[in-house]
Amino acid sequence: MSGAIGSEVSIRRRVAIALLLLVLLSPFLWLLQMSFKTNDQILQVPPPLLFKPTLENYSALWHSAFSESFVNSLLSASFSTLLALLLGVPGAYALSRWTGRGKGALRLAILVTRMAPPIAFTIPFFLFYRWVGLLDTVTGLVLVYTSFNLPLVIWMMQPFFETVPASLEEAALVDGASQRVIFTRIMLPMVTPGIAATAILCFLYAWNDFFFALILTRTAARTAPVAVVNFMNYEGWEWGKIAAGGSLVMAPVLVFSLAVRRYLVSGLTAGAVKG
Amino acid sequence: MSSEDVIEAGRRRFNRVALAPSLVVLLAIAGLPALYLFVVSLTPFQLANPGSGSDFSAPLRNYLLLPGDPRFVNSLFVQAKLSFWGVLLQVICGTGLALLLNVKSRVVEFSRSFFLIPMVLPPIVVAVIWKLVYTPDISPLYYAASLLHVTLPALTSDVNFALWSIIIADTWEWLPFTFLMVLAALQTIPDEYAEAAKVDGANPLQIFLYVTLPFITPILIVSAMFRLIDSVKAFPLIFLLTQGGPGDVTEVTNYYAYLLAFDNNEIGYSGAVTVVMLLLVCAVSLGVLWMGRRREALA
Repeated sequence: MSGAIGSEVSIRRRVAIALLLLVLLSPFLWLLQMSFKTNDQILQVPPPLLFKPTLENYSALWHSAFSESFVNSLLSASFSTLLALLLGVPGAYALSRWTGRGKGALRLAILVTRMAPPIAFTIPFFLFYRWVGLLDTVTGLVLVYTSFNLPLVIWMMQPFFETVPASLEEAALVDGASQRVIFTRIMLPMVTPGIAATAILCFLYAWNDFFFALILTRTAARTAPVAVVNFMNYEGWEWGKIAAGGSLVMAPVLVFSLAVRRYLVSGLTAGAVKG
Repeated sequence: MSSEDVIEAGRRRFNRVALAPSLVVLLAIAGLPALYLFVVSLTPFQLANPGSGSDFSAPLRNYLLLPGDPRFVNSLFVQAKLSFWGVLLQVICGTGLALLLNVKSRVVEFSRSFFLIPMVLPPIVVAVIWKLVYTPDISPLYYAASLLHVTLPALTSDVNFALWSIIIADTWEWLPFTFLMVLAALQTIPDEYAEAAKVDGANPLQIFLYVTLPFITPILIVSAMFRLIDSVKAFPLIFLLTQGGPGDVTEVTNYYAYLLAFDNNEIGYSGAVTVVMLLLVCAVSLGVLWMGRRREALA
């Protein structure tokens, strides 16, 4: 592309980028600063930009039912990630070495599962859970989250296996190693970074879920995103708590997603563009 | 049977064993629910009326009702409007941002990560953030407007602005996606092309129109289609900001199906609405696959 090369980035462009970044992130920063204000400060006009930050909102959350919701979110996201990896990683390896037919159909199936609006799964899951008593349980959430995490694992892991040279496997085969040994001792260590990136993405997708948790849980298995919204149900909304809750929900996401920045796109476009 | 055949047979057996659990589980937690959804959509099922779940006397009744249901028809138009403007704005702004940030500089490269923040935030946090912006008492936007002596209407409950308040929030959230996709495409364009055009006396606009744009058109189409499919999922924004209102101005099909099933208990009818929506998403997905394959063939 045209434009400046090397260190010749013009001052005008730098200023434009900085201003744009500030404007784009201001709604996000507004939420963040609000979480450190008391309710009085939040409603003050004009809004004070310099104020003595308080951790009041956070400590109030810690001592409320919100902490349980946070644990529910952690549990359901972690277990569904684990389950999806256990099932999906061997499956992705097999698919990456698959030469037979049916690969295209499977690819479409995986894409559709990823693309389907959540409501399509919510109605059947809701009815089924009501019948077997899985409503409002972490187990129920784990199963639902696996329905979109498993296709993601299968999709994300294939290119990682494809980059491992076939000669490695052939050499091991000649030495008499079984396929199982090749998979566990040779392939898995080679794709560890891929597994880590995939695990983080799975965790984030489950962690970010709002819709399934809204419908499939009530109080016992309520997740953090639903708990934040529940602060809005009372008279005189507790803006400080809402802001602090929102900040807590996004904290792990911000840390992790910067770690897997490179893979964000292939995760989002899973199914259609080669990773 | 040679030793190669034995190895090949062993490999196939391993592949089958490795793939089987995934397929079985996928079938159980994705295939069966889809089938169940379809079956439910053939009944007049209401939660309050248990026997209605197995009433297949008029299987197509729900589907025949759809064209005459003004709320359903309206919801399709609302979704179309939301998707069209949202996707258009995201593609244009994302491309602009990518062009601006496509420079080789450590600082700029470092700053790119921060531009991605809206996209990686949990959707419900995005909705909370925009709830703050659209709530007059505490909003920096309303405060800034009052300083300029402009009185803003209540954006999310105004018939003329409600849908736009959703479109703006949705664009803010997903602009980083188109930005990332376009940036990746821009980086594959060899510098020589633009330099050659410059030597021939082309101005920056001409370079963009005749060199850059043809190069990134496929990725623009692909990212637009992805956003088109995902725009159906703008649930948290609508749930928190407008609840489909005022009236049914922001009631998209997804939200209508949600209200039908979990507010009105019309599970069967909601199932039919969802099946129609699912078919539309499948059609667009097929289009994406087809585009992707064409791109691979061209590359």
